[in-house]
Amino acid sequence: MTRQLTDRPRAVVEAKPPAAPRARWSSRTRRDFVVFLALALPNLLLIAVFTYLPLFNNIYYSTLDWTLGSASATVVGFDNYVTFFTSSDATKVLGTTAVFTVITVGGSMVLGLLVALALNSKIRGTTFARSAVFAPYVLSGVGVGLVWLFIFDPGYGVLAWLLRGLGQQSPQWINDPQLSLVMVIIVYVWKNLGYCAVVYLAGLQSLPQDVMEAASLDGANGFRRFVSMALPLLSPTTFFLLITTMLSSLQAFDLIRIMTPLGNGTSTLIYEAYLQAFGAFNRAGYSAAISVILFAILLIITVLQLRFVERKVHYS
Amino acid sequence: MAFNLDRRHFLGLAGAGAGAAALSACGGPSTAGTGAATAAADIDFSGVKPAASIDFWSNHPGKSQDVEKAIIEKFHAKFPNIKVNLVTAGANYEEIAQKFQTSQAAKSGLPGVVVLSDVWWFRYYSNGNIIALDSLVKQLDIKVDDFQKSLIADYQYEDKQWALPYGRSTPLFYYNKDHFKAAGLPDRAPKTWQEFAEWAPRLKASSGAQYAYIYPALAGYAGWTLQNNLWGWGGSWSNGWTFNCDSAESVAALQWAQDSIFKDKWAGVSSKEAADDFAAGITSSTISSTGSLLGVLKSAKFNVGVGYLPGGPKNESPVCPTGGAGLGIPSGVSKEVQLAAATFLKFMTEPENTAEFSAATGYMPTRTSADMTSVLAATPQIKTAMDQLAVTRVQDNARVFLPGADQEMAKSAAAILTQQGDVQATMTALKATLEGIYTKDVKPKLKS
Repeated sequence: MTRQLTDRPRAVVEAKPPAAPRARWSSRTRRDFVVFLALALPNLLLIAVFTYLPLFNNIYYSTLDWTLGSASATVVGFDNYVTFFTSSDATKVLGTTAVFTVITVGGSMVLGLLVALALNSKIRGTTFARSAVFAPYVLSGVGVGLVWLFIFDPGYGVLAWLLRGLGQQSPQWINDPQLSLVMVIIVYVWKNLGYCAVVYLAGLQSLPQDVMEAASLDGANGFRRFVSMALPLLSPTTFFLLITTMLSSLQAFDLIRIMTPLGNGTSTLIYEAYLQAFGAFNRAGYSAAISVILFAILLIITVLQLRFVERKVHYS
Repeated sequence: MAFNLDRRHFLGLAGAGAGAAALSACGGPSTAGTGAATAAADIDFSGVKPAASIDFWSNHPGKSQDVEKAIIEKFHAKFPNIKVNLVTAGANYEEIAQKFQTSQAAKSGLPGVVVLSDVWWFRYYSNGNIIALDSLVKQLDIKVDDFQKSLIADYQYEDKQWALPYGRSTPLFYYNKDHFKAAGLPDRAPKTWQEFAEWAPRLKASSGAQYAYIYPALAGYAGWTLQNNLWGWGGSWSNGWTFNCDSAESVAALQWAQDSIFKDKWAGVSSKEAADDFAAGITSSTISSTGSLLGVLKSAKFNVGVGYLPGGPKNESPVCPTGGAGLGIPSGVSKEVQLAAATFLKFMTEPENTAEFSAATGYMPTRTSADMTSVLAATPQIKTAMDQLAVTRVQDNARVFLPGADQEMAKSAAAILTQQGDVQATMTALKATLEGIYTKDVKPKLKS
């Protein structure tokens, strides 16, 4: 197969199958349905009790003015939502969430791709390097957070020690809200880039070699082959990673909780929801409203995933 | 199987959704009443038999797990029919509060006795989470008059006693005697911050430490220790329910603190725990809780001195707040558990046990009749904390009664002390935040 390198490959979207004609259930269909219920009902019940019931509970709580720990509450309708969106909290929290998500997703994917390219090369030690790169991803976020806190500690941290050796004072990584966000982002990207690297590596290894060889025979250099061939062919992988890392970043909690317990400068939507209910404020209703807003954002991303990823943008 | 959303399916789903919504409305808090019962009514414990077992939720303030276990063993010997299970319910006051509040929401798993800090007990009271101890004090003959007056008074509201003092502390001025000696300074804490400002450059030049003084970690109760600076300059977080953190005096106090870091460059801000930074030799002095005293004495490889908190240009005394934790009894447990809990609470705060707790941690003995002779012989520095109690001042309402205020104060302190933010603007913004919390979360619950 040959292709003009100047032409970008066209995405082909699978057509939706035609809807089945509606028919009355036969006795066999009914029997199948009973079997289906017998097999699926226990799981459906578990999902209903442990996923959907808390979800509906949360939506209900978001309409209350409720102090956690108090046995009573007042119904306030959408007041908690109005309070959030009309306060300075909204700008701050949504801004922090956006910065954290964009940089961690972008950082993890770009660095993951670069690492994957390095690991895909035929040099010695790649097996060890793959394990080393992926290891942080499976480590406990709490442990990772504690170790990195020690590294960043401006008093007796490793980084401060290195900077003192260069005659510099350590920045206030932990107390300064802006630097706290930078610190958490660095650690989050370090922890998660291994995941992107492994997925990209799998994508790189499944690229059709005949296409790449053909491009090479046509005189394309390595950079050109990467930009014009590999990157477009990796687009399903990129889409997949974009969605999964975005969902993961929006739900990042452990590192933020351990490294910046006050959430000063690092309060993303999910952490703000936690702080409002279980931190010092105990505003359970308000926290539930923030959780519902986060849920809505995640739902939109999931719908986009269903729209674009499940239909598999691919090249032929 | 293909699934089409026809009218029948839609109605089915709508029914299921409505059912789920209705079901969800069955859980959680009641929306029928106007507020929680505050458990203010005296409970009649006559004829009640104490429960055979209770849980004691503690965060082991001042690394007190071992001494808590030892006192519990003594309790078991004296009261073999009541078993006390010591539960580590968190690493600090906030975590234990989180567990306690979520147990309240879940309406299960509550302990018999819970450690509650100075900023949490009032919230428990206003939510109706703890009981008034008065009837138990009477029934068990707990000697309330023998407690340190200022400490027992901290838990009194509406003429009722809501908790008893337990791991109570004040901040202390810790200094490195070796550094002070090398700088040719007297072997004592400075009388005022102005005096220390004169000492600091000499101290920093001769000690080799990073800082002459380190401010306590902002995440570790900055609002508590900064009251010392505010009061010394004639300011405060609040005066009664008037929030005056943006007054000229308060702003001057925090401006001075900011200058000590950015202009004069002899001070820093701790990232985690000032007492640990001090013990590690990073700084020549700091302010930290008396509860850190034993830990500092054990880990420091130099001579440790302690003294009263320095005063300021307006007030030299009283400029020291009290703090720490008390013990309370939840309202959501049975009378049997409450009676057993009160029996344990009485035992835990008896003079010999408070002395033992003090010896192991550095926290102040809460009873005036506690025999501290052997404790002071072993750790004479505890005497400074005990003596300082006479010159303490009741904490500002803003810090102890407003939910989340301590956190907001810490954030403002971070803006001023680490980002060199404009002090006046930061304090004006803090005032607005504190007023908002007061209006929404506290004022409606106050008795007129």
